[in-house]
Amino acid sequence: MGTLQEVLGLMALVLGLGITGLILISERYRPFLALLIVLTNTILSSIPSFQALAGGQQVGLFNIPHFAGELSIRIDSLSAWFILIINFTSITGVIYGSGYLKAYSHLKVNRELHWIFYSVFHASMLWVCMFEHGLGFLIAWELMSLSSLMLVIFDFQNKSTLKAGINYMVQMHLSVALLSLGFIWLYVRTGSFNFEALGHLPMDDSSIWVFIILFAGFAIKAGFIPFHTWLPHAHPAAPSHISGVMSGVIVKLGIYGIFRIVMHLQHDWLLFGEIILILSMLTSIYGIANSAMKSDFKQMLAYCTIENIGIIGIGIGIGLMGIGNNNNSMAILGFGGALLHTLNHSLFKSLLFFGAGSIYQQCHTRNIEHLGGLIKKMPLTAIMFLIGSMAIGGVPPFNGFVSEFIIYNGLFKGLLGVQGITQSILIILAITGLAIVGGMSLITFTKTFGVIFLGSPRKEFYHEPEETSFIMLLPQYLIVAVMFSVALAPGFFFTNATKVVTGSFPVQLSNPSFSMTTVIDNLTNIGVVSLIFISLLISLYGIRWLLVRNRNAALYETWGCGYVAPIKKTQYTGQSFTRSFGLLFSFLVREKKSAEKIPKRMIYPAPYSLSTSYIDLLERYLVLPIAKRLTFMLNYFQFIQNGQIQSYVLYGIFFIILIFLGTAFNLIH
Amino acid sequence: MVSLLLILVVSLFFSGIIIRTKSILSGRKGPGIFQPMLDILRLWRKGSVVSKTTSFIFQIAPTAYFSSVIMAVLMIPHGTYPGIISFEGDFIMFAYILAFGKFLMIISALDTGSSFEGMGASREALFSMLVEPAFFILLGSFALFTGQNSFHDIFSTLHYGSQISYLLGGLASFVLVMIAMIENSRMPLDDPKTHLELTMIHEVMILDNSGFDLGVIMYTTNLKFAMYGALISNFFIGMLPFEISVPLFFAIQIGFATAVGIIESFMARFRMGHNPQFVFILTSVSLLIFFGVLLVLGKFA
Repeated sequence: MGTLQEVLGLMALVLGLGITGLILISERYRPFLALLIVLTNTILSSIPSFQALAGGQQVGLFNIPHFAGELSIRIDSLSAWFILIINFTSITGVIYGSGYLKAYSHLKVNRELHWIFYSVFHASMLWVCMFEHGLGFLIAWELMSLSSLMLVIFDFQNKSTLKAGINYMVQMHLSVALLSLGFIWLYVRTGSFNFEALGHLPMDDSSIWVFIILFAGFAIKAGFIPFHTWLPHAHPAAPSHISGVMSGVIVKLGIYGIFRIVMHLQHDWLLFGEIILILSMLTSIYGIANSAMKSDFKQMLAYCTIENIGIIGIGIGIGLMGIGNNNNSMAILGFGGALLHTLNHSLFKSLLFFGAGSIYQQCHTRNIEHLGGLIKKMPLTAIMFLIGSMAIGGVPPFNGFVSEFIIYNGLFKGLLGVQGITQSILIILAITGLAIVGGMSLITFTKTFGVIFLGSPRKEFYHEPEETSFIMLLPQYLIVAVMFSVALAPGFFFTNATKVVTGSFPVQLSNPSFSMTTVIDNLTNIGVVSLIFISLLISLYGIRWLLVRNRNAALYETWGCGYVAPIKKTQYTGQSFTRSFGLLFSFLVREKKSAEKIPKRMIYPAPYSLSTSYIDLLERYLVLPIAKRLTFMLNYFQFIQNGQIQSYVLYGIFFIILIFLGTAFNLIH
Repeated sequence: MVSLLLILVVSLFFSGIIIRTKSILSGRKGPGIFQPMLDILRLWRKGSVVSKTTSFIFQIAPTAYFSSVIMAVLMIPHGTYPGIISFEGDFIMFAYILAFGKFLMIISALDTGSSFEGMGASREALFSMLVEPAFFILLGSFALFTGQNSFHDIFSTLHYGSQISYLLGGLASFVLVMIAMIENSRMPLDDPKTHLELTMIHEVMILDNSGFDLGVIMYTTNLKFAMYGALISNFFIGMLPFEISVPLFFAIQIGFATAVGIIESFMARFRMGHNPQFVFILTSVSLLIFFGVLLVLGKFA
């Protein structure tokens, strides 16, 4: 394998050839070619990543002649961790997508564009992780945002999809604007565009602002509140494999960015850590409370992503506080837990989105209140969805528990180690927050799974739903296999996450206050306990089966408490399931009722409708008013976009003259 | 191993004591203390009636619920004897493994497609969410108090130095008793005595279970009571030798069961809408314990 710049060049070459191929070959083979491109780029990027995780950081200089000059690139352990996550999720996404898009065979152009942008999207995400130079990073970042936008608006003939896409585009460019500002500020202060230069910022008050601006830029991508509003719109609009990959990976690149900047933080760890911890706690509680109330299952999953970003953020906050307190175990457990949760979330969230996609394709509705009883029609999808739901709820023996356990462990270590009352209270609040979030996700996912898959069907469908094709189930099996490997061998995964932490942050494993072996022992214990639990469950169920198999089990209607003519509509619905929760947390989730007024003099009853929905308070009262003000102001500039080609040409000439004059008078160097 | 055997023994007569207390207080003679267990044994020999609407979830849920509680019981220590499973942070796994069983019980209630059982499921999910913070703050406080991070280490190093720490032990027992009542949906929250359809939480969830599965669920409830009782007893056993700790353990369990019986005889069930407030009280009491610990450790300086 050559140097890193050769790898990057090869990837670009593969992408270029692949796109040409995708345009030329016939419709049938496009998914295979797309898979081939993704696989080739996966192999190309994974080899240096494995080398980096083994300890050898890969560096290089990538030359873009006449344009940007030499840009430094690198794959260190942090990049490697994220590159491997991206690769796995993208491969499962492309396999699932090839099955999912079969239903859209009438949209030829959409599908052709889709595969092209999918391969660009995959490569650009990898480049985001590879560029050390800010300019190259921004180019890759922009490429990623635009290609994912094109993927989101797959169904661009649909107006609401397009609207969600524009919302996504605007918010992503807000992020790019903030990041550019941050990099320019960095360049002005240090004379370098590299991330590394963040570590050489002079120690004064203004240098922390560079971090805050960059953090805000990445937080938009990651979906921290109040920057989360793009997620609940973009995810339902996109095709499911794209939602899966977006939620599993794109959002995580925001986390990557945050890791990338905080690893160069030289002072104020405590302040930054506390800010991130508080913000993350609020994010996760806000996310899951909204998630519990949504009856659109893809929106529910989108809000749940926000919750999990919060959990990852709690890990990062704890890690930073650990460095600030000089407490190695807190730092390693915090950052390590955050990294492992990043991996775990990318697994079960893409699994859940794939399941959601299968349901949507069979039933053509995203409203859970119209579903029910699907476990009999789609048993395999149901089992996969159940595994995903339990894993995301963080219950053992699944992988979500492992990372939450590590974060909890970091919190408890912190509780015993930190000095001062403020930090103690902050940490106990974080523990409480995590516990509440765990309970709320139990509510959310029992509701979602129960209402979608269990009970009787609430609505008759024109097409009877049936189990999805093998090609759409295969990626789900792959994901579940990896999930169980994390759950049963957490020690291995955590050791690798620790390598990333020690490679990126000023912490040592050899420090006497921290014993890596006890942590690994603990994690091994969790794996063993999970295994015992699974075998206990199976053996007890076996005993039960042996005991009851010869007894008579009469089949009967569900007990209606004496009422003999129950109808399906009287089943408990999702909304009634969470109603008391919603009332209790009405400061986070506001119910909005819209009802027709019943006319006063109505002799005979006529159809009457009432609908309730839950509004996102931050979006309604914070983001939208600001956006409204901005649009109002920008209306004055509308004359520029007048739709006449002549005036656009005029603008071009105007700017050329401006630049010419600028150089002529030495105003621009 | 010690605690597992003790808990299994206590689980045989725990609800018997509750029922006996209640019957004596209402002026009846009442059944023997092993009667509930005999009822369960009879259920284990019976056939069952299964709803047509249900799927395999309904079949596995009771067993899964039972095994999750067994796993949790394995983690409970007895004084200086650690539980069979004991590692740093085991109480986190304790709470989450119980959540596994709850998850399956809730969805198995939804599996029947009934108009009643979803109601119980919804409340069970809500109250177990509300009770979680109290448990974690409590354990966090005692972790801070003792400087240890697992059930066994916390309880074996726990000793009360000053008066204020006795207060902490008392408050902790109160919180744990109440957590046990909420987790088992007993009196101030829900009245298990009433006819099945009229109870609000747990009993309404298991309306459709019958035969063997119903027996498993009822036994699991007893086991859960005994488990919380063992947890409470650990606050007092500490480093006492075996000859004293075992009788003390039984005394505390019997006292706990009698207390439950007394509460159920003299209290009326709360209105469902008031229950969340009641559960939140526990969280604030746990926070009180936390501040007490900070006070004892001199962190306010």
